[in-house]
Amino acid sequence: MAELFHRKIERSSIGFAIAIVAAASVGGIIEIAPLFTIDGTVEEAPDMRVYTPLELAGRNIYVREGCYACHSQMIRTLQDEVERYGPYSLAVESKYDRPMQWGSKRTGPDLARIGGKYSDFWHVAHLMNPRDVVPESNMPAYAYLARTPLNLNDLSQHLAVQQTLGVPYTDEMVENAARDAYGQAVPDTDFASGVSERYGEATQVRAFDGVATQVTEMDALVAYLQVLGRLTTAAYQNTAAPELPPEPVE
Amino acid sequence: MEIDHNTLVAFSKSWGLFYLLGFFICVLIYAFWPSNRKRFDRAKKSILDQDDKPWK
Amino acid sequence: MIDKLTYSERQSASFILVAVAVVGLLMAAFGNSNQLGVHGVIVMIFAAALLYPVLSAIYAPEPVEDREASYYDDPIKVGIVLAMAWAIFGMFMGVWVAAQLAWPNLAFDAAWSTFGRLRPTHTSGIIFGFGGNALIATSFHVVQRTSRARLAGQVSPWFVLFGYNLFCVLAVSGYFIGVTQSKEYAEAEWYADLWLVVVWVTYFILYLRTLARRKEPHIYVANWYFMAFILVVAMLHIVNNLAIPIAWSSAKSYTIWPGVQDAMVQWWYGHNAVAFFLTAGFLGMLYYYLPVRAQRPIFSYRLSILSFWGIVFFYMWAGSHHLHYTALPHWVQTLGMTFSVMLLVPSWASAGNALLTLNGAWDRVRSDATLRFMMAAAVFYGLSTFEGSFLAIRPVNALSHYTDWTVGHVHAGALGWVALITFGSIYTLVPTLWKRERMYSAALIEWHFWLAIAGTLIYIFAMWNSGIIQGLMWRTYTGENTLAYSFVDSLVAMYPYYIARAFGGLLFLIGAAIGCYNIWMTVKAVPSTVPATPDAPETAAAVPGE
Repeated sequence: MAELFHRKIERSSIGFAIAIVAAASVGGIIEIAPLFTIDGTVEEAPDMRVYTPLELAGRNIYVREGCYACHSQMIRTLQDEVERYGPYSLAVESKYDRPMQWGSKRTGPDLARIGGKYSDFWHVAHLMNPRDVVPESNMPAYAYLARTPLNLNDLSQHLAVQQTLGVPYTDEMVENAARDAYGQAVPDTDFASGVSERYGEATQVRAFDGVATQVTEMDALVAYLQVLGRLTTAAYQNTAAPELPPEPVE
Repeated sequence: MEIDHNTLVAFSKSWGLFYLLGFFICVLIYAFWPSNRKRFDRAKKSILDQDDKPWK
Repeated sequence: MIDKLTYSERQSASFILVAVAVVGLLMAAFGNSNQLGVHGVIVMIFAAALLYPVLSAIYAPEPVEDREASYYDDPIKVGIVLAMAWAIFGMFMGVWVAAQLAWPNLAFDAAWSTFGRLRPTHTSGIIFGFGGNALIATSFHVVQRTSRARLAGQVSPWFVLFGYNLFCVLAVSGYFIGVTQSKEYAEAEWYADLWLVVVWVTYFILYLRTLARRKEPHIYVANWYFMAFILVVAMLHIVNNLAIPIAWSSAKSYTIWPGVQDAMVQWWYGHNAVAFFLTAGFLGMLYYYLPVRAQRPIFSYRLSILSFWGIVFFYMWAGSHHLHYTALPHWVQTLGMTFSVMLLVPSWASAGNALLTLNGAWDRVRSDATLRFMMAAAVFYGLSTFEGSFLAIRPVNALSHYTDWTVGHVHAGALGWVALITFGSIYTLVPTLWKRERMYSAALIEWHFWLAIAGTLIYIFAMWNSGIIQGLMWRTYTGENTLAYSFVDSLVAMYPYYIARAFGGLLFLIGAAIGCYNIWMTVKAVPSTVPATPDAPETAAAVPGE
């Protein structure tokens, strides 16, 4: 019986292809099926907020520049990591991250909780030329970010796609994306008040790159770095030794 | 019936294992089926001949 | 090469190229001046560059000989040349990014040349450019010879080869201008991914149709590996790259997988890309070119079947070992570890099978550097799969993950296994394809071999050292129970190893350049008058018992 069956598979190459699919994909699908529902295992964090348009734009710069090649955003459940970087990362903290940037290599330190640890001024100086701030650093200089104005035009489209994918952006947020991005980096304008209204009072509204007249890619990236690990406080409540997130340095 | 994460995990952990074992047994039978020996011997030697034309 | 096509085949080739150029034009028009527009222009140039030779020979005389009486080798030849060109590009980028880690100012303060943008040009250039072209070329060769049948198509092999290279060009050129999904080893954006699906489906159909024409009753095991490579890579590629572009006129897209799901899908893809792109396909090469070169049948055919199914089955779950101690549920991590350890069995079965095939022909391994390339590849395959299973064990991974040890492990596989088996196969294949008696220079193959071995060993020893030092420094505590080293302390300790690593990579690059020269001189040489025979020694040794 088995013999007959095998001969038959072998006779036709299509049968053979089906056998490979059976082994790899049917087997694989039985195996990986739970992963499609794995979001069901993600913990609740009612205080979790979405990225503002400026932070999302900053995240997209982080993605564009391939920062994941040297920086992780995933603090493992190991004592030395928790002591070095802060409470270990929870799944919920990256639930709005597309793609996730957990990374696989730390040529530089983990960034999952970098938000609020350094001042904006430090970040800008560091990105302009890392060796001005950390002489031993081997990170590339990103001075061009400060020279490049941020593209605000398509931010509504970005938010709209995220909304389609299930990120809880309201229609109002989508509509005002460009204005909010501008407002977050240019304080003391009418646009700025809209940001706090829509994304919460705790949202950091300031001239991240130190220049309050225009919005650059530097503004966006620093805004993103400053919110990393600060979208929810869930991680601080979940650890064995509860603590509060540090007061942000401005 | 609602298919939640735990249902799928239970399904994978049980049937995935049976599937793997069943598949492995089939492969073993195939590899060691006596009459396949000749076929395998032929296959492994036939790549060594130096004929460089398609067969008609 | 175009003279081997009939008039109607030249027409369909032109039609396809015009269609591609029109798509490029649309991309350029809708993309306006953004990155999609740049890629539209690249697509148009690519199509035009191929259209020119086709159109200029469109009315040339049609082929008179019976094409079915010979194998279709032209696309294989071009594939090998492309593979070597990508090898030089990818390895050069590798040496450059390695040097940037030691001397960061080598980015020259430009956007396109920062480490983050260049690093995927290295990985994609090597994996997809060099590895992919080598796989396509050798799979076309192996499937024809083992089936005793010509490829089932005249235009489709070209479509697969050039279509695939268009994907590679779009991917790599995109990284320079900031088009990337930043999903490791799947960085190319949505339109390049869609295009790859079209190419890949054609590849699969072509392969299947060629197998269906075979005159041998049994499908030789090397083809199984190539088929698994084609099929599973398609599956992985599609699932991992499901994404929604923000607009049809934009290069930017968002993956449909969020956070933890993305992490799992990404590493399910990432690890199986290692399994089915960098392992299965190259095992296909091993199972054909090693026996042919040694003129000895594979030690155990049964073992090769068992290890085939073992690899196809076990790899599927191994991906989660990339996510130990992360926010992924614990049971998924444990399962990933278990399957990774189990993988050692089929992996070592393959490596052992290859080495036992050579048992009794060691004198030839000593005298023939081409065979030695393949022998060394099998050894490195055995070592790096052992290392892989070892690193997948959770407590070991706690130390090794995020460090250079992983990078060293990947390169033990990529340099030691993938590149060496490819060079061995190419050196076997080139004289056969171009009907030369042997390679231009055996001495240059020796040089290439020893440079490659030296480069690989320097590289992986440097990375073992730096990785373990890094991992230990991160977790060292002082007597007062505080962390002993800052992150920067660990970085400072890396510099000597980063320099050594760049040097090892440079040796490997020089070896590949020598290989290119040797291939070029072989192609240029006068064809031999004797009918083509592989330039391996004639004596077939006794077949070892199973």
